[in-house]
Order: sequence, then structure tokens, then C-alpha cells
Amino acid sequence: MKRILKFVLVACAMMAGCKDDSGGGAGASSASTPGSASAMALKLNGSTTVNLPAAEAAEILRAEKGMNIQMDTHGGSAGGISQLGDGLVQIGMSSKPLSDDDRKKYPKIQFNPIHIGEDAVALIVSKDVWDGGVKTLSKQQAKDIYEGKVTNWKELGGADQRIAFFNKEPGRGTWEVFAHWVYGSPKSAPAVNFPEVGGNEETRNKVASTRGALSQLSSSWADGKTVFALALKADDGQVVEPAPANIATGRYPMSRPLFLLTDGEPARDVKTFVDFLLSARGQALVRKHGYLSLDQLKR
Amino acid sequence: MTPTRVLTPGESLFLAPRRQWDLVRASSYGFTAVTVLALAVALTLLVWQNLPIWGHSGEGYFTGKNWYFRHQAFGMLPMLYGTIAVSVIALLLAGPIGIGAAVFAGEYLPARARMVMKLMIELLAGIPSVVYGLLGILILRNYVYDSLRAMGMDPLSGDSLLTAGLLLAVMVLPTVMTLADDALRGVSPIQRQAARGLGLSQGQSILFVLLPQAGRGLVAAVLLALGRALGEAIAVFLVVGRQDNQWPRFPFAPDSLINAGQTLASKLGGAETNIAYGDPVHWAAVVGLGLILLSVVITVTLLSAWIQRRGEAHV
Repeated sequence: MKRILKFVLVACAMMAGCKDDSGGGAGASSASTPGSASAMALKLNGSTTVNLPAAEAAEILRAEKGMNIQMDTHGGSAGGISQLGDGLVQIGMSSKPLSDDDRKKYPKIQFNPIHIGEDAVALIVSKDVWDGGVKTLSKQQAKDIYEGKVTNWKELGGADQRIAFFNKEPGRGTWEVFAHWVYGSPKSAPAVNFPEVGGNEETRNKVASTRGALSQLSSSWADGKTVFALALKADDGQVVEPAPANIATGRYPMSRPLFLLTDGEPARDVKTFVDFLLSARGQALVRKHGYLSLDQLKR
Repeated sequence: MTPTRVLTPGESLFLAPRRQWDLVRASSYGFTAVTVLALAVALTLLVWQNLPIWGHSGEGYFTGKNWYFRHQAFGMLPMLYGTIAVSVIALLLAGPIGIGAAVFAGEYLPARARMVMKLMIELLAGIPSVVYGLLGILILRNYVYDSLRAMGMDPLSGDSLLTAGLLLAVMVLPTVMTLADDALRGVSPIQRQAARGLGLSQGQSILFVLLPQAGRGLVAAVLLALGRALGEAIAVFLVVGRQDNQWPRFPFAPDSLINAGQTLASKLGGAETNIAYGDPVHWAAVVGLGLILLSVVITVTLLSAWIQRRGEAHV
């Protein structure tokens, strides 16, 4: 029961896009903390992947500097970009690089992406698939599944079980990284019909509880107990696991930069927040959540 | 001696009979105007932003079975189907159960126990829908998945129109139950006494007197529940699977119900609204989904209110 309650709390924060204060009441009430630096709240929205270290940074800044910070993860990276573009938030969180289309859509905004770390996208499967013997996928195999040419794990050396593929929603950083790897660019990906999943928590939960399940997920969320990250077979036949060493050198093909987005040069509260995530303590938070900090990147 | 005068209904002894523009009156007019204006502005904006899609897709916006925004294909028919399917499943379950519970509470339970039961059911109505959605993910979708497999069917996962319908049934149950209870309370005690006086058993008097007498109120209760079911986004969003373009072989084909689908509200709850912004046609298509959902819910709610009022006029 306790476990369920804990999940409900975590999932509520991650998935539903409800106010993510992480610390519950303590964070929410900081608006009225005496000595609050400014009356206006610093608002962030975007990727659930970036949200993990960012939410923890917000917690620390609330406690130490009395800052009023509101975080949300509505719509993933695309939500972060559009809410920054509409002036609803001062910092967008994104797990994908900005496209020219994004800049064109909001000509008045001077998007300023600040690189805070790196993450890998893994193809994750449920336990029965992993135990059934499927441990790697090649780009061609991923493509065949995505286009519906392969629908059973036995065609890929696994057990006789239909593939239950959960596609990440369009606009999610995770999906775009996948599309880049398989098709070169998100625009070249074919139109397909699959059940869709959104946030990381939802994805992990649905894959874990469905037989024959497959989805794209930030590799730091693949716990190796309920969901398993497949290794990828590169074009030269080499098998590459989404391990930190392979991500750092860029050998693992589906890795992606994590960004904070601001409008122009950061100033005041925005600058405080950005500087904190780039400081040694902030970068330690990035590592803590399974991502690579900037000093770990060897490219 | 001044002649006494009888007050006409609605006339008050304490207020001056002449209407005056005082502060209370003016502000109450003002607030009402704000409410009406808000609805009018919302509707106008939606209609205005929705216009481009009709030039782009025409009637295909309604009748099209494909929605691929990257290919500028916007057909909402499968989403309409999904919306109707989950609502029908929900009402088929919640209707009889809710009315049955109301009959039990009102006719068989002592007054105090009835209040306790009503209170508990109304508490159900206070649970935020996102909590229902999470319970749906944690319990219901796995239960549906395992049960269907045990029955020899082969659903791809526990996300389905059926799961969403079952979850909605629980969510609208308090609405049906409370309003049905009110409708049954509204039947005059004289009717009950007459029924019993004619020698009908309690069961017979419920079936042949009470339920028909409360009929309009019961229909209104179910319609109001329908309004809630149609518009529910987050809970459905989490268990319906959000798979586009799931047009069934025939309406309510069983395989279409045990597989993933999409409703108008779950589509609007998804990430696509963020992408649509900036592209006038795509945005218009998404806004149109909201407009249609709004119109349907308004129609159902008004219909429910109208039926209820006519019912009261008859009693």
C-alpha cells in the first residue's frame, strides 16, 4: 500500500503535469517566505527528463535563497519551447535541440539554449521479452517494427509474443532522438498508428506491466528490474550498450543534449537558476539522475 | 383607518417596491454580464480560430478516418467513435447501478443509513480525476488485460476503450446516484401511499409507480452523467491508449473495444496542442475538436436541464 501511495505521488508529479513541487507543501508555500527575492515566481516547463535535476535544483534554491519557483512538465520538450515562446515561463526545459521551425514560430523570442548535460534514449522492453532472449536491436529491425513489418518477437529471435509497441508522443525529445537515429530526421519518419505514451513514468509503468512491450525511454529510467534497455547493433555490426562510457564518447547512437532555454541572456532569477545548474553542485544533480554532466563528455 | 393590503407573491415588506439602481443591483448585473461575456468570447474565439480547417478539409474534417498532422490529414471520425464508445460503456454500467443504488438507499435503508451512504458516494465525486486515472493505470488496466487474456482474447495491452469506459463508469456513478436519489425523493408520498393502498408490494410499487413517476428525473441524471463522461480528459487520457485512426470494422465491434483508441478529450489532453500552435490549419483542426466537444457537452447539459424542468412541471 505504501508503495502504491508513493507511486501515486511520484506519478502525479511526473505524468499528469500537475504542479511539480517535488517537496509537496514545503515548496509550494515558499511564495510567502519572508525575504523572498522577488514577488514574481520563476516558472519552468518542459521535458520530464530535464525536470528531474531541475526540480531538485529548484528545491535547493527555494530553501537556500527563498526563491519562488514553479515547475511543470506539460507537453514535454515541445511544451517547454511553446510556453517559453508564449511568455508563460521564463525557462523552458528541453531534451532536444531547437529546430529552425521553433525559431520561426516565435520570431520575437531570442532562444538561448544552455547545455546542461547529456542523456541517452534507450529502446526498452518488458521482462518477458528480455528473458525471451531479445537483447539487441539493429536500426533495420527498429525500422521494421516502427513500420509494422515485424509484429512478433519470434521474428527477432524471441518468444512467440506479439510486439506491443508504445510510441512516444510526437513533440517529445525522446521520440525525436529515435526518429533521428532511424530516419535521419523527424520529418522523414512515416505516419504510423500506435498507442502513444507521454512522460517517463507513464512509459516505464506501461511497458513493465504489458507482455511483449517495447518503447523509447530515457536510459536512466531503465532500471534493469521491471524494464530493460536493449543494446543497439551499429551499422558496422558492433553491439553498443547505453552505458555512460558509450554515451560520453558518442558511440551510442541515440544520445541527446539536455537544455535549459531562456529568452536572451539570463538575468536575475533566471541567471541564478542557470548558474546553479552549471555549478559543481548542479552538475552533481545531473549525474545523480543518471545523465552525463558536461565534464564527462569527451567529444 | 387605512385599508389593509395583501402582498402579492414576490413582493417584500422590507424592500422599497420601486426598483432602484443601487450598488448591489448594479454589481449583480455586472457580474452576470461578465459570465455571459466570458462564454460568448470563448465561443467566438474558438469558432474564429476553427475556420481555416473548413477551407482545408471541408466536410472531410468530420467524415475523414485519418489524422496524420505531419501530412496535413485531419479526419476526426475515429475520435468521435472513441468518445461515443467510452461514454456508452460508462452509462450502460453506471446507469443501472446508480439508479439501483438510489432505489436501495431511498426505499430500503433507514434515513440515517441513507445519509451515510449518500455522503460516501458523494465523496467519490470529490476525488480529482487524475487520481482516478492513476488508479486506472495501477489497477484497472492490468485487471482488464489479465481478465481478457484469461477469457482467451488477445488484447495488445490493458489500454483500451473498454478500460476507459469502465473507469468512467466509476467516475460518473456518484452523479447518477445522487441525481437519481433526488428524482426519487421528488415523487410525492401520496403516490407511494396510494400504491401501497392498492395492495402493491414494495417491489411492485417501486417498479410500476416510483420509477415511472421519477422517469424524467432519472433520464436527466443519466444525461448529466453523459456530459461528464464526454468531457473527461485526464483519467481517460491515461488508460485509453491514445492510438489514432482506430476505426472499427462495424460500430461497437468487440475487437475495437478491447484495443487502444482515442477520444476527443484525450487528443486535446495530449502533446499535439503544443505542436499545432503556429500552424493555422493544424491549430484550427485541434481547436475544432474542442469546439465540437464543447457543443456536445452544452447540448447534453441543456437537454438534461430541459427534461428535468418539464418533469417538475408535471408533478
